[in-house]
Amino acid sequence: MAEDLNWAVGGEAGDGIDSTGKIFAQALARAGRHVFTSKDFASRIRGGYTAYKIRTSVDKVQSVVDRLDILVALTQRTIDENLDELHEGSAIIYDGERSWDAEIPEEMTAVDVPLKSLAEEAGGAIMRNIVALGAACEITGFDVEYLDEALEKRFGGKGSKIVENNKEAARAGQEYVQENYDLDHLGYNIDTTDNDYVLLNGNEAVGMGALAAGCRFYAGYPITPATSIMEYLTERIEDYGGHVVQAEDELSAINMSLGAARAGARSMTATSGAGIDLMTETFGLVATSETPLVIADIQRSGPSTGMPTKQEQGDLNMALYGGHGEVPRFVVAPTSITECFWKTVEAFNLAEKYQTPVFLVSDLAMSVTEQTFPPEAFDMDEVEIDRGKLVDEDEVDEWLDAQGHFRAHAVTEDGVSPRAIPGTTDAAHMSTGLEHDELGRRTEEEDERVHQVNKRNRKVETARENEDWDYREFGNPDADNLIISWGSNEGALIEALDYLEDDGIDVRVISVPYIFPRPDLTEEIEAAEETIVVECNATGQFADVIEHDVLTRVKRINKYTGVRFKADELADDITDKLTEEVPAQ
Amino acid sequence: MSSDVRFTDFKSDKQPTWCPGCGDFGTMNGMMKALANTGNDPDNTFVVAGIGCSGKIGTYMHSYALHGVHGRALPVGTGVKMARPDVEVMVAGGDGDGYSIGAGHFVHAVRRNVDMTYVVMDNRIYGLTKGQASPTSRSDFETSTTPEGPKQPPVNPLALALASGASFIAQSFSSDAMRHAEIVQEAIEHDGFGFVNVFSPCVTFNDVDTYDYFRDNLVDLQEDEDHDPNDYEAAKEVILDSDKEYQGVMYQDENSVPYHEQHGVTEDMSEIPDGAPEDAMDLVREFY
Ligand SMILES: Cc1ncc(C[n+]2csc(CCOP(=O)(O)OP(=O)(O)O)c2C)c(N)n1
Ligand code: SF4
Repeated sequence: MAEDLNWAVGGEAGDGIDSTGKIFAQALARAGRHVFTSKDFASRIRGGYTAYKIRTSVDKVQSVVDRLDILVALTQRTIDENLDELHEGSAIIYDGERSWDAEIPEEMTAVDVPLKSLAEEAGGAIMRNIVALGAACEITGFDVEYLDEALEKRFGGKGSKIVENNKEAARAGQEYVQENYDLDHLGYNIDTTDNDYVLLNGNEAVGMGALAAGCRFYAGYPITPATSIMEYLTERIEDYGGHVVQAEDELSAINMSLGAARAGARSMTATSGAGIDLMTETFGLVATSETPLVIADIQRSGPSTGMPTKQEQGDLNMALYGGHGEVPRFVVAPTSITECFWKTVEAFNLAEKYQTPVFLVSDLAMSVTEQTFPPEAFDMDEVEIDRGKLVDEDEVDEWLDAQGHFRAHAVTEDGVSPRAIPGTTDAAHMSTGLEHDELGRRTEEEDERVHQVNKRNRKVETARENEDWDYREFGNPDADNLIISWGSNEGALIEALDYLEDDGIDVRVISVPYIFPRPDLTEEIEAAEETIVVECNATGQFADVIEHDVLTRVKRINKYTGVRFKADELADDITDKLTEEVPAQ
Repeated sequence: MSSDVRFTDFKSDKQPTWCPGCGDFGTMNGMMKALANTGNDPDNTFVVAGIGCSGKIGTYMHSYALHGVHGRALPVGTGVKMARPDVEVMVAGGDGDGYSIGAGHFVHAVRRNVDMTYVVMDNRIYGLTKGQASPTSRSDFETSTTPEGPKQPPVNPLALALASGASFIAQSFSSDAMRHAEIVQEAIEHDGFGFVNVFSPCVTFNDVDTYDYFRDNLVDLQEDEDHDPNDYEAAKEVILDSDKEYQGVMYQDENSVPYHEQHGVTEDMSEIPDGAPEDAMDLVREFY
């Protein structure tokens, strides 16, 4: 039996699938096991198929694989949808008393548990999923007391009665399986460790990073899969003296955030696809008014409304080129959940140091995936705040012109001007989207225009020189073949290395968290025999920019089914690509 | 805040490029007077302007200011006020800016009751784009894009505000300088969203809604002893009266609580610690 266990619960949207899965994931994390979760969900609140999948191991897990060992099926569709991942050793927990006649292939182990009746006995039908969790504990030999801890965390706020009922429901499921089945032959046995892990998803990490970085204002408009950042901040930002506004639309959201930022707050907005389109109008204003603003785009399948609940990395061109005219900007794209935290902190620093829009580009797979980490992965002592050239009263004088006007857009060598916020004596000034002089006053004078354009663009050059636009590296640094990836594909790629190794294939993997500016990969690509760029889109947007940088052709692996890469599948794709003919130069 | 601020302190040394005689001169002067009279100074004032001839106001005033994109000034003002409840926020723009492209934002800013003052320089035309119909243009007003008139009834901004739950609704006339400044001052002093629609004639493109027209037709509510701005029904009557043009404070909700107070936002959000907040590790532990 494999070291890791793959478990899932599936049913109709509205069946409590998410909370059931989350409780089990938390129980596993409490037991010191690593967890990696993924979700299949349809864009409907009721009536759509939905599943919560957990991969767990004592070793770090960072990808999904094509295998399901234990499936809690609340509907036939759950079984049908996952048939290709089920195998001879799989156990399927279902409720035989329910009206559907479960069709379970013979080679699998059907575990019929009267979920609803047992739940009713324990205090209410609503707990049938908890009964199933108890049954799953028994099948896998997982100590049900860890489940108790997760139930306490989940229902503690609702009173001890509810917690006790739930624990009883879990016991009922456990005992039912114990009494009616002998499943030792399945051979599942879940080891535990003494490690303490936290379990969180990419959007929670972004929200946490924002708070740690001093974000105090957030305005947003709900859109999948960005909304959970707003929900996270709504519950917590007030503890830090901040506030979240649900704006009337994205045009408003970005403009509110811009207002707060100009007033001196660290400020952020987040959206996805359609929302980014609406925000595009204001990108240029953020840049020309030199306002520090973090704009997060949690990508989903487009174009248009596309597939709102499906994975894609299709907005890279938007982040790089969106907005009319030429908009200097930074584009940062975390490659893991811990990076969602750290890159968010960095995004706020970059925004204030360079007074420019920073696009924080994540994707759906990263936003909903929960993963375990040692808490030190988010060590708050490591968080540094750099507010850039924010001037106080004493420094204002240095930046006044002969008439005593504050030179808010002073042309400086590094391209960064002083920044004064309201209340700073003698620094009152105006900022505008119109081209302006150093004082912020409209001008169409040719030299002034060129000075300001150069000044703003110089910030990018300064940052290019002064910041680390690094990449992360995995696999064998001396391997002949190079794989390049961005965004959430990193985990699957790292795990694919094991599969490739089994087949005797050696590769070097570079995972790039900076899209603009980005590391220069010329040397790495020239040293490689073959280079493959892996991304979740159809046209290879990152491959395009890499080809442009290096002036050579690269191979591409593109997935745009709406589903993230799986480690084993990616290993196969890489093997195929390496034997494919190089495209004509 | 210094007590010796004069209204000219709010004037920038940039000469307005408005057409001679444009109503916007008077509108701006009244705003500056009202700001000075309410004890504000340029360093604690933030003026957000829209796009249009009217939107140029931020350039001619001296304060912290942002001149943004067309129609989005109110959200910017909202952001400024939320981050800095200590700062006086004034938002200004035209009728096209506010009631056309920005109409959605108008409804929601009113509804939120953010403590800022919104001055709309209503000339019933698009000035900057050289004379097209605006949402407040009369239905038979001929323009380059509506040669036979828009053939649609104009928006009644005061009614729109009332229907959206406004806590302060007023109208003034830019050339009635004293009254205009007084009304804007009341709007600033109001706890919540102070909305003033200002008749600010465009002498170049609008030959119907002229100074003379307003002078001849304007009824000042101050002269109507019966009008009580705290009386919602009375306000409704005045606002929905399509036969007359009024100036004065139509409506004021005495119990208005501004958005930031409702939401307990009192702190200056620009102050943040040097590193992560002290108890930030709690944010991580929450995920145990
Ligand atoms: C998104 C966008 N669309 C169109 C314009 C062009 N535009 C500039 S001002 C304006 C109308 C302004 O009218 P109004 O608000 O009544 O102001 P006025 O010039 O009359 O003071 C328009 C349509 C623009 N700047 N931005
Ligand atoms: S065009 Fe009209 S609104 Fe614009 S400046 Fe001239 S008079 Fe004023």
